[in-house]
Amino acid sequence: MQIEKENSGTTGDGQAAAVSPIDFRLDPSSGVPTYLQLVQQVEHALRLGYLMPGDQLPKIRDVVASLAINPNTVFKAYRELETKGLAAGRPGQGTFVRATLSQVALPELTKLRRTLLGWLTTADKAGLDEDGVIALFNSVMRDFRESRATSGRGRGSGSDREGVA
Amino acid sequence: MNVVETHRLGKSYGRTWALRDCTLAIPAGHVTALVGPNGAGKTTLLNLVVGLAVPTEGEVAVLGGRAAGSPAALDGIAFVAQDTPLYRSLTADDLLHMTRNLNRHFDRSYARGRLTELGIPLRRRAAKLSGGQQAQLALTLALARHPRLLVLDEPMAMLDPLARHDFIAMVMTAVADDGVSVVFSSHVLTELERVADHLILLSGGRVQVAGEVDDLLASHRVLTGPTAEIDRYVDRLDIVHARRGAAQANLLVRTSATTDAAPPGWRAHPVGLEELALAYLREPGAAALPGPTRGDNIEPLGVTP
Amino acid sequence: MAWITWRQHRLTLAGVGVLLGAAAAYVLVSGVRMHHAYAAALACHPASSDVCHQVVNDFFNKYASDAAVAAGLLHVTPAVIGAFAAAPVLAREFETGTFRYAFTQGFGRVRWTIAKLAPLAVLVTAASAAFSVLFSWSYEPIIGTRGYGPGPLEPSVFDLRGVTFAAWTLAAFAIGAAAGVFIRRVIPAMFATLAVTAGLTLGTGLYLRRHYEPALVSTDPSIAPPDWVLSQSWTKDGKPASLFMIDGALHPVGVQALTLERFQPGPGTPDNFDPVQYLSHHGFTQVTTYQPASRFWTFQWIEGGWLLAVALILVAVTVWRVRRRAT
Repeated sequence: MQIEKENSGTTGDGQAAAVSPIDFRLDPSSGVPTYLQLVQQVEHALRLGYLMPGDQLPKIRDVVASLAINPNTVFKAYRELETKGLAAGRPGQGTFVRATLSQVALPELTKLRRTLLGWLTTADKAGLDEDGVIALFNSVMRDFRESRATSGRGRGSGSDREGVA
Repeated sequence: MNVVETHRLGKSYGRTWALRDCTLAIPAGHVTALVGPNGAGKTTLLNLVVGLAVPTEGEVAVLGGRAAGSPAALDGIAFVAQDTPLYRSLTADDLLHMTRNLNRHFDRSYARGRLTELGIPLRRRAAKLSGGQQAQLALTLALARHPRLLVLDEPMAMLDPLARHDFIAMVMTAVADDGVSVVFSSHVLTELERVADHLILLSGGRVQVAGEVDDLLASHRVLTGPTAEIDRYVDRLDIVHARRGAAQANLLVRTSATTDAAPPGWRAHPVGLEELALAYLREPGAAALPGPTRGDNIEPLGVTP
Repeated sequence: MAWITWRQHRLTLAGVGVLLGAAAAYVLVSGVRMHHAYAAALACHPASSDVCHQVVNDFFNKYASDAAVAAGLLHVTPAVIGAFAAAPVLAREFETGTFRYAFTQGFGRVRWTIAKLAPLAVLVTAASAAFSVLFSWSYEPIIGTRGYGPGPLEPSVFDLRGVTFAAWTLAAFAIGAAAGVFIRRVIPAMFATLAVTAGLTLGTGLYLRRHYEPALVSTDPSIAPPDWVLSQSWTKDGKPASLFMIDGALHPVGVQALTLERFQPGPGTPDNFDPVQYLSHHGFTQVTTYQPASRFWTFQWIEGGWLLAVALILVAVTVWRVRRRAT
């Protein structure tokens, strides 16, 4: 796999080009796959405002050099962010932040909580235990994601994990 | 293109088989970890790949069909052996000079640049460098040849954590810059997941697991549930390794891509690479091998010498 | 590669260089002194007088034994060169594991082996060729002088001159290289090289060389250095005379025949007694088996030729072995 050389034409080695606002770290004991950790850190930075649309994500080569991880992993993380619509790659330049994570306003959040509680009560009455609820949720989540992907609307949706424990 | 392709490769020393019936295909553009306990045959396999040893049976081809050890193969493969042997009385400068004289392609400015970055003095004898510096010097000499395939035989065994980190970072940077394929052997499992995207597990001279890390992780699950129910599901589940407590058990199972539903009452978790490797190493009889990666498994490799 | 080979083996090569240099200096100084002394001895007039004979005798007595010692020491030089310059080159690669680097470079192991050995081989052969020229010049007054110093064919000097010294050095080098690649450990390879080269040198000098051409047999009693006398025996009335007969014939004058060539005078022996002359007067004929000095260059080319062949074969075997296996 030939990784696109980012900024190869414009800046040389050692030249202080635009440095990305964030710096990645790895938690090897967390059990979370490496690429997912990178994705989560970008989303976290977006939520907290460290990253704004137009900012450049760290160059793959720099991430690799500082964390000593496989470039494919970084590539995968950035591709995931692109799929979620949070980032976009510019050929020869790098990967840039495209959108922020939509912040759901507090009253909206409270309303969603209430609806969810109601649903859970209904499911419990129907005889669905906790594992069943989770399985059902994952299944519907998958369908929803697929339908959104085909409709072409990407929106940051938070971490996605299979088999939420 | 497959950077390494073997067909029923075997190597014996006297009556002992260090490697037997090894059939592999390692695609280009990957960082492949060759994992296994000591004596599993890792060094033997790597020696066969770089042409230091000759097969007793079977075949090995590299870089898309070239015979291992042939001039075409030697040109495109750089090897750093265990304990990174260097000429102790020569300086880094001498070694650069020597490597340039021994190879068609050698990027002297790259080598000089990296050594300066790493703070390795050019005029000090190799014997006076630290273990970490020696390893990085050996790696620099290898990478300056801009090989298509970099083969590393446990080069980090003697390095402290910081030196290990720098060593891996240098290799990964070369992968990012050059697209070089890497095959490295290790008996340390903890770093694997963030470095390797292809895994080969060797045990007792035989290949136990071979495949892309993503595929392996996607096709295995850990099921947690009551020990008493294991027998009920033994036929339905492809159990690789079972760990039983008195009441609760963890089963490492292999699943097909579509089914990930755990039996009722059981919970399914994703499995990490280290856990997967350990489980297979504990079960010598189990194997996870990909299907045929070439059209015809029976024909010889048609190696170009 | 030659530069790198020098850098890598500089201690050993410097050592060998110092040794050869010291030996060359010694030979040169001896040679100069010897030439002066010989010229002085020859200037003695009249040449046939007893005084001048004594001067010449003194010259040879003084310098011949020195020369013999020097020649003896120089005989070990090819073996030392082979052991120190050639054996470690390949053996060390295997001993330290650096062959894992050398054999996986782009140009491959055969080219690497040749690039390492060739410059060294050329260097030591040229150096030893120059050395043998120096030796020949230095000991010219002594070698081959009728009746005195060693004949040119004699084992003490033959293989230090002409083309054979260089050929022995090259052969020793090839032995060292082969020892290095087969034994794969430096010290054992060096010992093996010393042993094989020494054995071969001794064997050639003592047994092989005299058979390069069929020896001549003559009854001429004046056969002496510079011709190479191989053996002497006696006949009487056309039949070989046994040691018993010779001893019996010499009994009256108290001389004991230790061998057919060596005689031990006893208490009753007159002064200046010449057993050979005595026996000749008493019906015995001395039969000498010898190689004439004129065959010097023929023998040089024969010996140089087979040594070169041995060297080439060993180099081919070394390269074959390098190719075949490593681990």
